[in-house]
Amino acid sequence: MDISTMFSTMSVGMLRSFGIFVLTLVGSLPLGMVVALLKKSRFVVVRAITSAYITVIRGTPLMLQLLVWYFGPFYLFGMNIGNWRFPALILGFVLNYAAYFAEIYRGGIESIPVGQYEACEVLGYTKTQTFMRVILPQVIKRIMPSVTNEVITLVKDTSLAFTLAYQEVFSLAKQISASQTSFMPFVIAGIFYFVANYIVEFVMKRIEKSMGYYK
Amino acid sequence: MILQMDNIKKSFDGLEVLKDISFEVDKGEVVSIIGPSGSGKSTLLRCATFLETIDGGEIRYMGQRAAHTDENGQAVYVSHQELRHFRSYCGLVFQQFNLFPHYSILKNLTDAPIHVQHRSKEEAEQTAMELLGKMGIADKADAYPYQLSGGQQQRVAIARALAMKPEILFFDEPTSALDPELTGEVLKVIRQLADEHMTMVVVTHEMPFAKAVSNRVLFMDGGVIVEQGDPISVFENPQEERTKQFLRVFEH
Ligand SMILES: Nc1ncnc2c1ncn2[C@@H]1O[C@H](COP(=O)(O)OP(=O)(O)OP(=O)(O)O)[C@@H](O)[C@H]1O
Ligand SMILES: [Mg+2]
Repeated sequence: MDISTMFSTMSVGMLRSFGIFVLTLVGSLPLGMVVALLKKSRFVVVRAITSAYITVIRGTPLMLQLLVWYFGPFYLFGMNIGNWRFPALILGFVLNYAAYFAEIYRGGIESIPVGQYEACEVLGYTKTQTFMRVILPQVIKRIMPSVTNEVITLVKDTSLAFTLAYQEVFSLAKQISASQTSFMPFVIAGIFYFVANYIVEFVMKRIEKSMGYYK
Repeated sequence: MILQMDNIKKSFDGLEVLKDISFEVDKGEVVSIIGPSGSGKSTLLRCATFLETIDGGEIRYMGQRAAHTDENGQAVYVSHQELRHFRSYCGLVFQQFNLFPHYSILKNLTDAPIHVQHRSKEEAEQTAMELLGKMGIADKADAYPYQLSGGQQQRVAIARALAMKPEILFFDEPTSALDPELTGEVLKVIRQLADEHMTMVVVTHEMPFAKAVSNRVLFMDGGVIVEQGDPISVFENPQEERTKQFLRVFEH
């Protein structure tokens, strides 16, 4: 198998890795905000459940969580998990990353001086207006560096999908390498992750820069 | 009568900060509040502007009741919706300015008029530009707060409060966060508003300013109004021992 054949075989995997990446972000970026706000809920039970969720997610390996989401329904409910692989994978990634984003958001929200809220209150803004117009834009600017870190980690974490035998770029690299007794597939995979992160950093820098007009 | 506060009581976890304070402000009046640190000056302003809730007493704006004490001795406020209406009567200028850093100066002045008071963008911008002109910073409309000096930022904060067309404007030590050479420009703006008969309540440590600008001076200590009157009598002929003591510190 020559390099270009390897590359085109692996490109399907690259697309799948990219799919995990995009779906995880689309799900976890907003969900993280919901979790962050739930953690500030005025109901003790809601706060306790949210804290427990964050602690468990952050305290266990993502790989283990993926296995639990995939095999859990079978062992617990005897569910047929035939078509469950991809949904379980995305569920695992989204719930995992939402917990990390929630903590980043929470830190960001708490770093906004109380004077901003008071200024809004005196001016008559509603709670929603205060959050959407004044707090959130400043939070986003402050948390950008931490979000960038998480997104870069996610690019590399997509390779954990191999745990569920999902054929993304890393699983394919392993397979092709074994069948062709070649090291090349790993080099291609490595370049893929590296280039992906290069693009992520470039895009995030642009976003950070677009918010650099104020301090 | 713009504002009437009767028998206001406020405690923070057992610490009585306002002890039965009664206080009123007439249209066009400029009232200065002086007093030592911890005497409850900020708390009084924060209760008047609804940033803090009172434990007992009554608050009226323009004769309308915003809060009162019920038969059980509990303070009850009007509904959230109505409270927003009362908020529109008053503006507050903070010691730390609290401008919105992500908005240009112009947007700091127009955002609330547009989104809270539902005024047109054109009208809000016109009002904002007039106010910035009056504050002597019309050329800063497109700048961002971080690009301005403290004195300029505080003038923007005053303009932002005025853009809401409040009936009464409160100031909580508006010059305390400023370098001494910048206090003059802010005090000048407040003095100018006083000349235009803007109703104002100013908590300040600037005694000469309080003496020159106010119609009435209030001396607070330990959560009560110890003495009040026209500036000449309070500053030059104080009746209470505590007032005399406090003013002595400022004589040099
Ligand atoms: N949110 C709060 N929680 C607990 N105690 C508070 C709170 N706000 C104020 N206090 C206390 O209430 C008392 C009066 O405070 P306040 O800020 O009204 O005083 P002040 O006259 O404005 O003083 P200063 O001149 O230092 O600004 C102080 O003892 C203060 O510690
Ligand atoms: Mg104070």
